[in-house]
Amino acid sequence: MKRKYKDILLKDMTYIASFIGTFILFLIVMYLVIKGAGLIKIHLLTSNYNAETENAAVIEDYVYHDMTDHDGNYSKKWGIAFEDVTTSHKEEVISVSYIDENSPFNHLYSTVAGKNNQSVSIEEGSIVKNMYYLDDSGNKTFLSETMMKDAANLASILDEKATGIISINYQSMGGGIKGSLIVTMYLIVISLLISLPIGVSAAIYLHEYAKKSRLNSLIRQGIDTLTGVPSIIYGLMGVTVLFPITKLVGAKSTSVLLGALTMAVILLPTIISSTTEALIVVPQGLRDASLSLGATKSQTIFKVVLPSAINGILTGVLLSIGRVIGESAALVYTTSTVINDAPTILSQGTSLSLMIWSIMSSEQPNYELASAISLIILMVVFMINGVVKLVSKRFVKSFE
Amino acid sequence: MIADKKYIKRSKSFDRFFEYFFMAMAMLSASFIVIIVLFVFTKGISPFMKNYEYGQVNLFEFLTGNVYRQDMQIYGVGFIIINTLISSFLSLLISFPISVLTALFITKIAPKQLSGIMQSVIELLASVPSIVYGVFGSGVITVFVMKLSNLFGVTTFGGSSLLSVVLLLSIMIFPTLTSMSITAIKAVDIDLEKASLALGATKMQTNFNIVLKAAKSGIFAGAILGLGRAFGEATAVAMVAGNKLFGPTFNPFDITRTLTSTMLAGLKETTGLDYDIRFSIGLVLIVVIFTSNALLNYAKKKVGNMS
Repeated sequence: MKRKYKDILLKDMTYIASFIGTFILFLIVMYLVIKGAGLIKIHLLTSNYNAETENAAVIEDYVYHDMTDHDGNYSKKWGIAFEDVTTSHKEEVISVSYIDENSPFNHLYSTVAGKNNQSVSIEEGSIVKNMYYLDDSGNKTFLSETMMKDAANLASILDEKATGIISINYQSMGGGIKGSLIVTMYLIVISLLISLPIGVSAAIYLHEYAKKSRLNSLIRQGIDTLTGVPSIIYGLMGVTVLFPITKLVGAKSTSVLLGALTMAVILLPTIISSTTEALIVVPQGLRDASLSLGATKSQTIFKVVLPSAINGILTGVLLSIGRVIGESAALVYTTSTVINDAPTILSQGTSLSLMIWSIMSSEQPNYELASAISLIILMVVFMINGVVKLVSKRFVKSFE
Repeated sequence: MIADKKYIKRSKSFDRFFEYFFMAMAMLSASFIVIIVLFVFTKGISPFMKNYEYGQVNLFEFLTGNVYRQDMQIYGVGFIIINTLISSFLSLLISFPISVLTALFITKIAPKQLSGIMQSVIELLASVPSIVYGVFGSGVITVFVMKLSNLFGVTTFGGSSLLSVVLLLSIMIFPTLTSMSITAIKAVDIDLEKASLALGATKMQTNFNIVLKAAKSGIFAGAILGLGRAFGEATAVAMVAGNKLFGPTFNPFDITRTLTSTMLAGLKETTGLDYDIRFSIGLVLIVVIFTSNALLNYAKKKVGNMS
């Protein structure tokens, strides 16, 4: 009997251990969803991080248009709706929640110096800072920033009193991740362009050519050791070894290109090992058949072996994409932590992960935005995980 | 015939070219490890050289110092090394039993469907990037630690503490440890199990006494790998460590400072002593990882021989 109880106890322990792991995964996802899911909108992906202030002149003799009705604090006369929001810096402000397509606010003229009456329009989500309006008797009235607290009030003032609007000062919402998305894309494309040919070639050499020799086992050992190097050390390598290379192309400081080159090195072990795994599965008979038909070794590799191993290479590419999206420590040193809304290959900028790092290491971390970006990263990474599983399952099947 | 010969000759030189090309690429890939060590080493030891442009740093004081203050140009990493060892080994201590039990559950105990689900859970946990663990750490773990410390009547610095680092690291190395343990357990000869069962041992006795013992060396290898990851984990740890200026830290509710968090702290300029010293710390990190790997591998051989 005692033995039986002990057995049950041990069994329960393994159940509890497995539950802990599952619970933590659940906790991570739940936390990110609760904190960040509310922020995930198209607007987040397409807008800048740094807010821009715009001062615009409007319409003094306003001709009324027909506007469609809209919910909320809506001024039908002007075709614009407002809402009270609290910014990530805990300020209470009024933001534009809707603009009718016929609204005069779609056709404003910038009065910011240097912009030469450029045509601008208020976007939904912009924060209204202050405003000068004209009333019936032709008096100018100023609504200061401190008066911009009540969206319903503002809508009714516009509807009832204002006959013209002389100027409006507003701020784009900001807090978007457009720039970081672009940098992440750059990093993925450039690092793969470099790493893929090198990695696949190295794997081909190690699996198809290399005979047992001291040199070859050294090469293998070197590549194996790369896997265990922490990414922060790769970052150090990037700024010392690869920086001079980017300097030749014209980079003045750390840059997206430097980050991509560093990532290319980080990806090498991943690509080599997943390509090697694919090469192992390709049946020897295929190679022998090709060779006996008179094809040379390189012809066999390019026309027979590689096409059969394409799924494994694809797996390597997908895993690499996941790695680039998630990488942070190495990039802190190589692409900087300055969030850049209009990055180029030679400028500084942050990838999505780096942007999180940048946000979290500021004085007042914006947990909502960090969680939203984390959630996006997590969704992409989980999706990659699923596809990799699918690809490798089908790949193994195709040779059975 | 002549065209044939030409063709054969051309394709032969083609062949040669590609063989050398592939070989060159393999050598390039492998050479990066040499490049990394070489460059981090040269830049890392430069502050200790006599003719260092920003004023020579004493190597002995650097390695044994118990104060690290960037603002006063005092760089002592002795306590940081100890902190790093403490946090990494503690996290291994927490994570190791849970991972081995989970691996046993997945391979031997769970019903087939549940085992598949658990396998996916481990894979998903493994794919979570460290920065996301960092957000989770500073959003959830620090809050938890703060509440825990209130129970004990201790105040923490917003939850950033040694305990937070340990908990976060144990979560982060859990998938590595588990998947290595799974591989090790799966490699155990089924005959061993059958023999044990035939001798009258229960299923659980077999699992714990035979299977785990046989998989010992593989599980140990996983532990070494996990420890390496714990040493080198940077951004996530830096988000919950708090960066203490002196140490070492033994109180779980006190803030701490690890090698990696120091390397990331206050990174602004790309010249000067404050920047170069990060390479020295990186060099220390490489040495710590290398030595602990070597020692543990030696221990693994000893343990392996005993059974």
